[in-house]
Amino acid sequence: MNYKLVHQTQYTYTGNVNNYHGIACLMPKISPRQNCTNFALQITPMPDEISQRTDYFGNTLHHFSIHQPHTQLTVLATSMIETRSSIITDLFMTNREVKEQLRTNHALKTQLLEYMIPSSFVQWDEEIRNFGADCFSENQSFYQSARQLCHKIYTEFKYVSGFTTIHTPLKTVLKERKGVCQDFSHLAIACFRSLGFAARYISGYLETQPPPGKTKLQGSDATHAWVSVYAPGVGWCDFDPTNDLVPQEKHITTAWGRDFGDVSPLRGIVFSTGKQTFKVGVDVIPV
Amino acid sequence: MVADTIHSLLDSYRTQLSSYDEILNADGSIKPHWEKLFQSLEKIGNLELKNRLQEIKNKIRENGVTYNVYEDPKGMNSPWKLDPIPFLIQKSEWESISKGLQQRAILLDLIFRDMYGERKLVKDGILPAELVFENTGFFRPCQDVKLPTEHQLVMYAADMARGPDGRMWVLDNRTQAPSGSGYALENRQIISKVMPELAERQYVSRLSPFFTHIQQAIFRVFREKTDQLNVVYLTAGPNNETYFEQAYLASYLGFTLVQGNDLTVKNGYVWVKSIEGLQRVDIIIRRVDDEWCDPLELRGGSKLGVAGLLQVIRNGNVMVINPPGSSILENTALNSFLPSVSRYFLKEELLLPSVATWWCGQTKERQYVLENLHRLIIKKANRKQVFRSVYGRQLTFDQLQELRTQILQHPSEYVAQEEISFSTTPAFVNDRIEPRYAAIRAFLTATPAGYQVMQGGLTRSSPVKDKFTFSNQYGGIAKDTWIVSDETEIIPDRIRLPRQLFQKSQTSLPSRSAENLFWAARYGERTMAATTFLIITLNSLNLQRNFGTTTKTEHIEILLKTVSRLIRIEPGFSNENAESYKHPFAIITDSIANEAKRGTIASTIDSFLKAMIVVRERWNQVTWRTIDVIENIAQKLKQIQPKQNPNDIQNTLNTLQYSLFTFYGIVSESLPRNNGFLLFETGKLIERILSKIVIMRSIFSARTERFIEHELIEATLMNHFALVNYRSAYKSNYEMEYMLDMVLLDKQVPSSLAYLLQTLEQTIAQLPHASERLNDAQKAVLRASTQIQLIDVAELSTVSGDAMPYEKLDQLLAEVYGLILSVSDFTANLYFNHTATQHSITETIMDLENEL
Repeated sequence: MNYKLVHQTQYTYTGNVNNYHGIACLMPKISPRQNCTNFALQITPMPDEISQRTDYFGNTLHHFSIHQPHTQLTVLATSMIETRSSIITDLFMTNREVKEQLRTNHALKTQLLEYMIPSSFVQWDEEIRNFGADCFSENQSFYQSARQLCHKIYTEFKYVSGFTTIHTPLKTVLKERKGVCQDFSHLAIACFRSLGFAARYISGYLETQPPPGKTKLQGSDATHAWVSVYAPGVGWCDFDPTNDLVPQEKHITTAWGRDFGDVSPLRGIVFSTGKQTFKVGVDVIPV
Repeated sequence: MVADTIHSLLDSYRTQLSSYDEILNADGSIKPHWEKLFQSLEKIGNLELKNRLQEIKNKIRENGVTYNVYEDPKGMNSPWKLDPIPFLIQKSEWESISKGLQQRAILLDLIFRDMYGERKLVKDGILPAELVFENTGFFRPCQDVKLPTEHQLVMYAADMARGPDGRMWVLDNRTQAPSGSGYALENRQIISKVMPELAERQYVSRLSPFFTHIQQAIFRVFREKTDQLNVVYLTAGPNNETYFEQAYLASYLGFTLVQGNDLTVKNGYVWVKSIEGLQRVDIIIRRVDDEWCDPLELRGGSKLGVAGLLQVIRNGNVMVINPPGSSILENTALNSFLPSVSRYFLKEELLLPSVATWWCGQTKERQYVLENLHRLIIKKANRKQVFRSVYGRQLTFDQLQELRTQILQHPSEYVAQEEISFSTTPAFVNDRIEPRYAAIRAFLTATPAGYQVMQGGLTRSSPVKDKFTFSNQYGGIAKDTWIVSDETEIIPDRIRLPRQLFQKSQTSLPSRSAENLFWAARYGERTMAATTFLIITLNSLNLQRNFGTTTKTEHIEILLKTVSRLIRIEPGFSNENAESYKHPFAIITDSIANEAKRGTIASTIDSFLKAMIVVRERWNQVTWRTIDVIENIAQKLKQIQPKQNPNDIQNTLNTLQYSLFTFYGIVSESLPRNNGFLLFETGKLIERILSKIVIMRSIFSARTERFIEHELIEATLMNHFALVNYRSAYKSNYEMEYMLDMVLLDKQVPSSLAYLLQTLEQTIAQLPHASERLNDAQKAVLRASTQIQLIDVAELSTVSGDAMPYEKLDQLLAEVYGLILSVSDFTANLYFNHTATQHSITETIMDLENEL
């Protein structure tokens, strides 16, 4: 599929901001499954400095600073995306074999350890482990188990926006059985890791369909998040617990990391006296 | 008789030894340099040692050497503790220890670079992967934050103690922002002054070359970029445990002491926000821990760092020592892997052993620790303030069980170490010389010619007998550390640096320091004004009590009322509260002593002292001695009781006034005439003008009999220190007109408004200016000064209205008051960059409008 991708973030401050230092993690990945061309980052007011850098996880970051007083900041990222569907289907490796590989293969462990241990937004307890455990019987295929976990989250949880924030602990999400894509992804990752698998967090976009009979509204798409697990011999495989599906052409990948904390689309430090509000608009337009 | 006592101290010390001691060789003989030291101690004698210890304590207090103990309400500015007996190591032994320390520094530097680079150590199985990825000191954004030098670990400190095999064992590493070298320097200064005869017949290596030459050699790498090197010392502020040392070192080395919000990132560089504008920074020596260095990429809420700092380092536009990320090495678990790392990188055996260490992040080791918990020492792997080492043998069964659960919850955060008995060393405690456990912190720094070791260190001994705890947080006692030899020191290969480096590098006055200097002056003068006027009031009160008639006391009431105009507390003296005049000492005492009420003398002195401490690096030692005196008076003031003999109160106020004058004297005689001085003067003059006006307006606000008015005129003249001058001109002929002429217009009187305004005008004119035109502050002073000079004294001293006898005078003073108050605001706006609050913002994925 080919898409035009538009992601606009707008901050409005009640007081003047004299100094802003920010990092944008907005440039989609180039990978065998995805190509990104004509990426443009348009920031208003015009930054005094801007520079591009590859971070620890291999994501592309843009550092920028604004030194003139402003009350509104707009960050507009646009690009052309070409996606291909994933060729991975069932892998036939069992859960036992995957765990064994991760435990004994030194090179693999070195490479994956940080995706197997707790991270800031992915902490677990017995309860979370138990939630995932029944999807992973030892001799079942790892792929099927992962699908099963996503299905379980999809059916047992309600998508409710506004109930959680990024700081809501997974314990609460599990208890209340509601949240948004980032909570479901963090929960799935916690389940994977607690059972001895390697899992990471993917941030990106998803093309959405308007309700039947209605035209799609501008800015109605959203940033999205899903998970990726490591299957020895195959590599990283994506799963979307929010929609109970295996990401294909409609999923566009921006960045990955241990959890949301590593891939936040926009981070910044402002020096101001007032408060701020912000608005995000995303369009994934098929072309 | 003499022969009998010659070895009494040494003999009595020897009888106390229960384990092996620093003074003894393996065969039980006394090490020669310790013998010499004991001979010197013998000459001094036990009694005199007690006196010397007191002298050390006095010096420490006078010099303001402090250490802040966390979690203790009284812990702020706790005095540093220093033993009169130094710790000795023979030079030849120190040289071999140094080799071991240098090897450690090299290894840690290699590990540091590898962990943030190729990670060969992990790939080749030398270090467990957990030690990198589960290490709370591993900061991923730091992986490409590099210095333009070969070594990334520039400053390194190691804690050591002598183990059972007679060798020095390394206990702990400090690799982020090692503290203690400044205390070592201060220890030396105090001991060399108080115990001059101690070093007889021995040669003690000097410490200063380490600071002046060696540490700064690393700057050379950066110097090629710029003619004038601007070095700043980044502190976390006065609440940090070692703030004294940070201010001391900054001042000793001539670097600008800054806090995070004094710095800003702009156009790819780091700048100091100084009162002259932005000044570029080349090198930052940081005393802020890794994760607090940059709120943009590290800990988001940090206000101690500089937003955008990491990116500036990446671009090579600033050098931060040590580079952020080095906390990865402050992990005790590393100890157990050093021997294999040494073989791996250097093909050498480790020269200095470490204490046997097990890291719970590994399965086998964790198992061992859990099974042997009762005989191990448990620590947090990463250095943390909150976790005190736990001795397994001291725990009950339940406590051990609880500790096991704790470890199992976060295994990688814990290490266990073997409990080893280390050597003891002579310490002067409980008025005699006793053996105490001690640990030495050694300091190293990278130079283009390799790692160099300070010829000395910071030794700390345990406050409790038979216990091996020496952290200052728990009352450890410092010892000066001597590297001794029989020959004078030849500095072998002294590192020569281009002359340019020694030229005065530019120093800035950060806006925050400027603001504190300004407020130190205002609070100081506010104290002075209140004290001076209270003395005058108490004088009148005593006179009235002892010699006066009971009928004419109205002037006393007016003076008391004025006290409450100056020190605005509730309840105060007022006509509505007429009862208060009859028993004035309750309110007077409250106005002086109650530190809980804002505006009292006690609370104003506190504010004054606080502001002084924030800019402590700008004051010389003489100043600190006076500040110490003022601090003591403040303590005394807070004890004042209403029932106390009024004479006592007056005496205390007199000493306070006298000490403040001493302080002013030191400022005016010894402070360099830079912008800091000018801002101090500005603050002082503003406060003085304001307080004089408040007093004058209050005193002459009611119509009084002639006799009473005479008393008030006299009080006013005393308040302006002009009584003698007045009497020599007008004898005892108290006329309103003459008095006003003197306190308003007479420029010979340094407390006259005309003189004060003129001085303020001149002072402000010398501060940095953006343009040739007068700024708002200057305009306001000029206006005030002109107003005063244009007055007609005869007109002002004519009684007009009934309610307000000197209406014109009052109007004039009110106007000048308003103008000078605005000068204070204008000055603040001009020079003190009131930084807007820093907010950290993150776009969250959750968004109400865009439901999926």
